[in-house]
Amino acid sequence: MLSVLIAGPVLGALAVWLVRDPRQIRLLALVVSGLMVAWVGILLSRFDVTQPGMQMLETWTWLPNLGLNYRLGADGLAISLLALNALISWVVVYSTPVEVERPRLYYSLVLWASAGLAGAFAAQNVLLFVLFYELELVPLYFLIGIWGGPKREYAALKFLLYTAISGVLILIGCLALGWLSGRPDFDYPQVQATVARLGFGLQVTLLLVLLLGFGIKTPLVPLHTWLPDAYVEASPPVAMLLGGTVAKLGTYGLVRFGLELFPSVWAQLSPALAAWGTAGVLFGALTAIAQKDIKRMVAYSSIGHMGYVMMGTAVGTPLALVGAMAQMVSHGIILAILFHLVGLIERKVGTRELDVLNGLMNPLRGLPTVSSLLVLGGMASAGIPGMMGFVAEFLIFQGSYQVFPLLTLLCVLGTGLTAVYFVILLNRTCFGRLDNRTAYYPRVLLAEKVPALVLASLILFLGVQPRWLVQWNETTAQQLAVTQLASAPLTQSVSLLP
Amino acid sequence: MTTTLQPKTKLPPSRHEFAEVVHRLEAGGAMVPDTPENLMQIVGIWKAYAVPMDFYWRDLLYIAEQVFLNPLPFFKYFISEEYLQRHNHYAGDDADLRIWRGEATVHPELKAFLERGETFKMPRLLHHLWHDRINMEFAEECMRAMLWHRGMGGQFDPYLDSEEYKQNADRAIRAYFRGNPLMLGLYRLFPDLFLEQCRQASYYANLGLFWEVMAPVFFEIYDRYLEGSIKTVKDAVDFLVNGIFAVAGRPIYHHVYIRGECYEIIPKSKGFMWLYEAALPYVEAVFYRTSPFRGTKSYNAQAHMIPDKQEDFHYGVLYADKFPIATAGIPPTLLAQDMLHFLPDFLVDYYRRHCRGEDDMLVQLGISFQRSMYTVTSAVFQALRAALLYPLDDPNPRHLWANRRFFEAQLDRFCRPEYGIRDAARLAYVQSPDYR
Repeated sequence: MLSVLIAGPVLGALAVWLVRDPRQIRLLALVVSGLMVAWVGILLSRFDVTQPGMQMLETWTWLPNLGLNYRLGADGLAISLLALNALISWVVVYSTPVEVERPRLYYSLVLWASAGLAGAFAAQNVLLFVLFYELELVPLYFLIGIWGGPKREYAALKFLLYTAISGVLILIGCLALGWLSGRPDFDYPQVQATVARLGFGLQVTLLLVLLLGFGIKTPLVPLHTWLPDAYVEASPPVAMLLGGTVAKLGTYGLVRFGLELFPSVWAQLSPALAAWGTAGVLFGALTAIAQKDIKRMVAYSSIGHMGYVMMGTAVGTPLALVGAMAQMVSHGIILAILFHLVGLIERKVGTRELDVLNGLMNPLRGLPTVSSLLVLGGMASAGIPGMMGFVAEFLIFQGSYQVFPLLTLLCVLGTGLTAVYFVILLNRTCFGRLDNRTAYYPRVLLAEKVPALVLASLILFLGVQPRWLVQWNETTAQQLAVTQLASAPLTQSVSLLP
Repeated sequence: MTTTLQPKTKLPPSRHEFAEVVHRLEAGGAMVPDTPENLMQIVGIWKAYAVPMDFYWRDLLYIAEQVFLNPLPFFKYFISEEYLQRHNHYAGDDADLRIWRGEATVHPELKAFLERGETFKMPRLLHHLWHDRINMEFAEECMRAMLWHRGMGGQFDPYLDSEEYKQNADRAIRAYFRGNPLMLGLYRLFPDLFLEQCRQASYYANLGLFWEVMAPVFFEIYDRYLEGSIKTVKDAVDFLVNGIFAVAGRPIYHHVYIRGECYEIIPKSKGFMWLYEAALPYVEAVFYRTSPFRGTKSYNAQAHMIPDKQEDFHYGVLYADKFPIATAGIPPTLLAQDMLHFLPDFLVDYYRRHCRGEDDMLVQLGISFQRSMYTVTSAVFQALRAALLYPLDDPNPRHLWANRRFFEAQLDRFCRPEYGIRDAARLAYVQSPDYR
């Protein structure tokens, strides 16, 4: 079942090379990614939200001597991110301009990246995860380096270096886990059992290695410096893929390989981890306020929002974990709509500069629908009630306040700062007067608005019906939190009780 | 393609910031470049403007003469059939001076629109509530601009403060409220309030009488353009200048009809003339000054965002922002909406081919309107020059210098750095055909 989400895009990536017409290539990619969305819908309908642990397991012994098995499965966290990946992949394909250069290579790489991400989220073998983790790196390097902005080569190389280091660190950590078990078995249950037998110092060392690896990918401050360049230089659809899904690989790793494998050490380190997340929230928000480029502003907002995920994961209470997982999905969708709209503005107006943009809400010559959706996206990102961003952040704060009240309040301050930079962005971009000299922007076609309309509908629907956002994660969060509390020393566990 | 006008002047080239415009004016042209495209826009929009204007002047006179001081004037836009059929003094067979060769009664396109609107035939009240009608609010805003910017020259405005006017108004007010002790009591308590309302009604009459002339002028220019006798912007300016002189002496007055009796608040015998008491104040108030539009942008007078002196106001159509947000002194959207119903087909086709086609036609026609008003202002310059200064082909260089100084002084109003007037004026914009 889950293999379809990997095999489908792979086959699609190969099939696009058989087609010549750019429109047919795009159509093929759209059909493939659309089928993946439909398939995820089927998987979600079959997913038992009451059952803890992995579901839809698929196992195939691949290289037993190396401990590499093709083992897939999905719990609440994985199924949420698989759904997010399928949706964002479709949006990325749809929002790519028809006239994109070298379409076969482009759509092939997008589908490869989608397959790699799906594999990583579904993998139940550590080595298989690393394999998929590295698999998505290559297409993304080319997607940034070929179709990016003026500094695309620099940004792509920086992305490659950082992510390669991240991959190496994760590989070292994972291999160490296998070696320490004494036998080559990298399946998750086996690795989990191995970790439980390790000494405290060794666990801390391994966790720190993995934290660094996934911290780069997320990214967490101060490991984030690749992100602004990559997000800004990447074309808007690729930026949607990077921010919407790829960054979630980092947060997914934090939960799967940090909290789940090292619950007791995680509990010991949770104050520091929560402080790390809070620092990211404040740094991201304050840096975003200082930006003059709206795409860079959105990029820095992403750093801040990843801080909330880190905060919720660090706290480890069921409620905070549900919030953190919801925030991964919520952030993916909100960031995708923001990057899509910023891309549309850049394409129509020809600039992303805050000091130049003005009055786009003008109903006759501006981009009124785009501006309205940008307001909606900004409100969702700032955690305004009635939108999915609020649901996720509220759950995190509810879950973390009793454990880390001060840090939680600082994170709440971060949401206020988020509102500040979005008000700046919206005020300068959407409101005010259009310039008489320059306001001859082409109209935005309905087809160009469709991705944003789809994402906006989800933001509103999941904002007023949050059950559809959190029901997938509740049992998984409960299990992770219980695991953590049961494994952690009593003195630490008490402090984590909600 | 630009039709080059050979300057007949013997003077050296002007060193003014708008030297090209100065030379064009010295050759009898307009501030707008003389191109077929500009002419097509200008003449087409004049026709689209003249049709609602045919309603404006009738209703303005209806309000001034019949509604007068009605404290609850809910139906002041529900013009009576008598006023719709009222003969324009400058059109039709019985005209005082026939400017337009068409009918003197309501324009056929206007008549059809008043019956059906842009929706379908239904009671007039429903058309009104649905805003499917001619927007008299625009006309009233122009009237208020003239009333508010008092003291712009002429004799009409000082007369409104004279004892004679007050006595005439007093008679009319008492007659109007005869048998109404409440209003008469209020009048006794607040006489200035009623007097000010009376002055406003006088400006209703003033503007109505002004536009009664302009509507047939624009219709005639349009007809001549279609016939091919107006081929350049200069031809249109010449027609306007000739028209201005032909009707310059038309009396400006204010009569009120109360129970069938006429009360002459401003009698024709005062000798107030159309050119000096209506046309020039109108151009000054509406084209140049008006007031900050009550739009979405707020102005902070304490931050000197609004000039200290009223004569420095620059919110008129010559400075108007083409986008319907703030800055323009008149509600441009309402006028644009009115003109949209009566655009000639060639102009609709033209707008469809540019920018966003039908989606932003209101903006495009607003810019055409701005071009056309720069042309009207040019005609006023030429008329004033002809009345006060010298012919353009005068052999005396000193006279030519005087003409040049006059034109340059007029253009200086668009170049003043204080209050950002230089940036606000659209004179530089309308020089380019790409300004749409």
